[in-house]
Amino acid sequence: MLRRLLIVTLLVVVTGCGDQRILERLGFIQTTSYDIAPSSEGESEQKLLISVTIPRPDSGSETGSGSGGVNREFLTTVSSTGKESRINLSRQTELQLVSGQLRNTLFGLSLAKQGIWQHIDTLVRDPSISPRVKITIVNGNAHDLLAKNYPFHPRTGQYITRMLDKESLSQVVPSTTLYQFTKDYFDDGIDPIAPIIKESGESIKIDGIALFQKDRYVMKVEPKQAIIFALLRTNIKQGDISLDLSGGNREHEHVTFSSLVSHRSVKMKPSKGSFHVDINIKMEGSVLEYFGALDLESEKDRSTIEKLASEQIQAKAKELIAAMQSNRVDSLGLGKNIRSTLQYAKWHNMDWRDTYQHMDVQCHVKVRIKDYGMFTK
Amino acid sequence: MKVEDNTISEEANVLPSLQHTLDNFKDCMDLVHRTFPSIDVSLVYFGHLVGSDALYQDVVLPLTTAHENEVQTQLTRNQFKQTTDSKTLIKGILSGEAAIFHKDNAYLIDLFKPDARSIQQSEAEAVITGPHDSFIETASANLSLIRRRIKSSHLKAIKLEVGEVTKSTLYLLYIEGIANMEYVRELTNRINLIEIDAVHDGNMLIQYIDDFPNSVFPLFSTTERTDTAVSKLVAGRIIGVLDGSPSVFAAPSSFFEFMASPDDYYQRWTTGTAIRILRFIALIITLTFTAFYVSVTTYHYEMIPEALLLTITQSRSKVPFPPIYEALLMEVTIELLREAGARLPTKIGQTIGIVGGIVIGQAAVQAGFTSNILIIAVASSAIASFVIPSYVMSASIRLIRFGLIIMAGILGDFGIALGIAYLVVHLSGLTSLNSSYLTPVSPNNFNDWRDVFIRAPFWALRRRPTQSRSANVVRNRMKK
Amino acid sequence: MKEKLHPFHISVLVFMIQCGVVIFFLPRLLAQHMGYNGWVSLLFFSAIAAFNICLISIVYRLGNGRSIFQIFEQSLPRLLTFPIYTFLIGVWTILGCIAAKQYIIIFQVFVFPTTPPMYMKLLFDIIACSLIIKGIYNISKAATVFFWLVIWTILLLLFFIKGFEWVNLTPFFFHESSNTIAGGLSIFTAFLGYELTLLLFPYVDPKKGFIKAVYFGNLLTTLTYLGVSFICYGFYSFNQLTKMKFPLIDLLAYIRFPFIERVENIFIAMYLITSLMSMTMYIWAATETAQSLIPKANKRWIAVVLVCAAYAVSWFPDVLSEVELWLKYFGYMAVGIAFGLPLMLIAILVIHNGGRKIA
Repeated sequence: MLRRLLIVTLLVVVTGCGDQRILERLGFIQTTSYDIAPSSEGESEQKLLISVTIPRPDSGSETGSGSGGVNREFLTTVSSTGKESRINLSRQTELQLVSGQLRNTLFGLSLAKQGIWQHIDTLVRDPSISPRVKITIVNGNAHDLLAKNYPFHPRTGQYITRMLDKESLSQVVPSTTLYQFTKDYFDDGIDPIAPIIKESGESIKIDGIALFQKDRYVMKVEPKQAIIFALLRTNIKQGDISLDLSGGNREHEHVTFSSLVSHRSVKMKPSKGSFHVDINIKMEGSVLEYFGALDLESEKDRSTIEKLASEQIQAKAKELIAAMQSNRVDSLGLGKNIRSTLQYAKWHNMDWRDTYQHMDVQCHVKVRIKDYGMFTK
Repeated sequence: MKVEDNTISEEANVLPSLQHTLDNFKDCMDLVHRTFPSIDVSLVYFGHLVGSDALYQDVVLPLTTAHENEVQTQLTRNQFKQTTDSKTLIKGILSGEAAIFHKDNAYLIDLFKPDARSIQQSEAEAVITGPHDSFIETASANLSLIRRRIKSSHLKAIKLEVGEVTKSTLYLLYIEGIANMEYVRELTNRINLIEIDAVHDGNMLIQYIDDFPNSVFPLFSTTERTDTAVSKLVAGRIIGVLDGSPSVFAAPSSFFEFMASPDDYYQRWTTGTAIRILRFIALIITLTFTAFYVSVTTYHYEMIPEALLLTITQSRSKVPFPPIYEALLMEVTIELLREAGARLPTKIGQTIGIVGGIVIGQAAVQAGFTSNILIIAVASSAIASFVIPSYVMSASIRLIRFGLIIMAGILGDFGIALGIAYLVVHLSGLTSLNSSYLTPVSPNNFNDWRDVFIRAPFWALRRRPTQSRSANVVRNRMKK
Repeated sequence: MKEKLHPFHISVLVFMIQCGVVIFFLPRLLAQHMGYNGWVSLLFFSAIAAFNICLISIVYRLGNGRSIFQIFEQSLPRLLTFPIYTFLIGVWTILGCIAAKQYIIIFQVFVFPTTPPMYMKLLFDIIACSLIIKGIYNISKAATVFFWLVIWTILLLLFFIKGFEWVNLTPFFFHESSNTIAGGLSIFTAFLGYELTLLLFPYVDPKKGFIKAVYFGNLLTTLTYLGVSFICYGFYSFNQLTKMKFPLIDLLAYIRFPFIERVENIFIAMYLITSLMSMTMYIWAATETAQSLIPKANKRWIAVVLVCAAYAVSWFPDVLSEVELWLKYFGYMAVGIAFGLPLMLIAILVIHNGGRKIA
């Protein structure tokens, strides 16, 4: 009995002190930004400009919101790699820098054009980083966007994360996480995507969706097209779409569908050495806003609206798909759908990007009005 | 069973005589010696043990009103037992019987009527609805309570003696046909092997007959409630009633028995089940909550969701100690408060509760000694530990909690896992009267789970628990 | 329960020995060595294990439930049994402790990277030792409680139904596999553990379906592995899966509750229980064998000596790759024992019975 007590006491003394991460002594890196550093003289290797933000709850005013970023620390350094920058950055603060609470990584557009996989690789390799870290592209310089404090908004990092979360709910942008990006990067049937943000005066704006070819930024989807892109890519559960139905003999006709629920299915058949793909989208929504001459009460008029709407959407979708095909990015995942119908040898020997570029893709949209609110006519 | 003490000497088979008896009780000035020279009768008894009314009615009156030669006849009446050896005589006097000496003969008459506490509700085991009577210190009163509830001749009682000096009486009760005789034999054996001067309480007694006296966990359950004792008897367990103690013990017991309360049966089964599940959740909370707090704030910061992160960091930023010391400090404080509250008379005890809980806690947070999140964690752990019905078990659990907190401070989550693993290993080796302590989880018996983890409706509870190894497994069918 | 092991406990015991650290990276092994939709091959491996269990059941029936050491000693001279026993003791002890070391090193990839692994192993071994000393009945009791503590985590798989995509599974089967044979053997070591039931013969009740219980334990393990691998194949794309070192842990890291995140920290700590059980049972098996070797020795002392010896040996492999190498070779040896031992016993029994085989 005494022997046991002795052993236990000894063990208590020899505690695992080295690996302690006591909460209040840590600096939680919550947002990181990667940019290409402006090159200086005599530098052959391109360096990165890396910045991090750390919340400082014990400094500054009490609340974070409304006084924009007073209680956060912004550190920046120039180095060759992400981990090297950590070593440099930790020399600038009294807290122990840890990345376990990382929420968001921002990449400047120019860096995105070169390819971001090696940075993502470092993040994925680190066991303390959660796979739910968001990846965001900044149209411009990520460092500048992050450095700035935005009044009337919470800390910049939090501001960006919350905005992205909210927008992804209504399908304006996808919410790309490390897990999602890695999955799509390695899958040969789909290409990754990421949201783009941009600084705009006293606030940050969502600037569309970035389409990647493997890990290089290639193309952008404008915010207005984002909902079409979402309809094409997955089944959506919430979203709004506003369509301008004017044209021809119709003037000033607008309709907005809210609370969209859609279902997408892809069918393909081989044709002429390539494929013919049909993307069928069934969409349902409430019409809460309609400017125009038609009467929402009448069945005939409603189906006219539905037809017009689907034609509009089909036209936009066709544009989008053509743009993606010419840029050779398969962001809709059509490759995955096609792969599930083929034999392994056939899929493997096919040059998917080539086939994709020249494939015939048709989009068929069926719109249905679920209800039209609380007011008739 | 010899005690080397020359003030107590027992000689068997000596003819009882008044002088011998009085010599034995020399200096026992509370012994009453009355003589009735007219009828040559001497009366020896302890005045505080015999009932004076009964003494007058049954002894003094008949004897004194009888003529001299009728005294002998009187003494042949059946309430007077003739005694032929002094050991029985002395024991009898000590047990509240009156000794009557008449012409070289000695007789004993049982007039035991002690002053005892009246039957009230037990403080440690109160229920909301249900019987409120509980055991008191007199064995006969306790037996009476039990026999009133079990009107069956199958309820057997074995009388044993414990304690060399105190010679307390212990009754082992069991229901023949339901209880397993091997247990009875084993228990009797163990009690007979006890060599100690005195046993003061049932809780003390069971530590002498324990399978594993060094374990933290209580291996026999004790209760002060009559209905609990009766239900255990009917389930096939063996009850021990010790004279001088209101705590009655039951053997064999399982770990999960300590988590059951009679309340569960007096409410409807859905409520009973919900409360049982709540108790198990409380068990988990009390064991692990503070340990998790220590582990997360010391090693695993990434487990904190973003919304809570800054709140916790802010509250910890003022505290000068690492979380483990902070946690141990608060836990020790709570234990001090609890112990102090238990020692003080009720009126002051309540003040300490308020002062300690609210004022000290608040002041500690403001002074920056602890963080308020920790106060919440420690307080909820403490409250959760009081949900466990058995006081002894909750005390053991509180002790283990400290061990887990220290392990969490050393090795974070791994330490907690190691601690729990060691706990399970320890529990698996425990036996209560040679039957496994962790029944019905292991050895496995899904049928018993209906009464352990939930409280199934009565039409589903038709078998006795397997731990009692009863020959008669089925309780009688509830006729619909 | 004092005398014999109940079938449910045998199943649980088999399940706990089989399920070990391998489950952390089993999906990756399947993806690397079995290719697309490799999870299907688990059924094949499970069948091989079942066949092996069948061999064990033949030994049990032919030998009339006698302990295998009795069978050995009846037919073989001490000169032969000595090396066999020593080999068994050696392989089982080292296998048990290296598996535990692997668990600790993997655990240290995530937390406590700089704490000396032998310190953690020491605490681990102390608990294992105290469990082994208590004997097989108490080991099975502890195994049952551990089982209930760990099994509910299977429900967490439900969390991934939302992210699961059938298209990720692709219609290809077994393409892009490499090192199929060697890899297959490594995957099969995930099913090892049932061979220790050879040593349970004297402790089971012959009337109560002992072999069925072993099959059931194997089935439980198979279902668990299948569930995890299947979800991984659907949740991650194929190439991604081949590159992730520990898919299961990544899977757990993805779970987020409102009040807690990154719960993989808790769960990998909890899976220490499965490693503990594997190590305990292997060293217990070695103890039983050692007792046949040296009948006069005290059972407790043998256990302590073996645990200390195992601890000393586990000093040598230090880094993950070394441990994996050791484990590979000892795993092969263990597979050899799993098949070889029953075959040898059957041969002895058949010869001993004069060729009369009980149908």
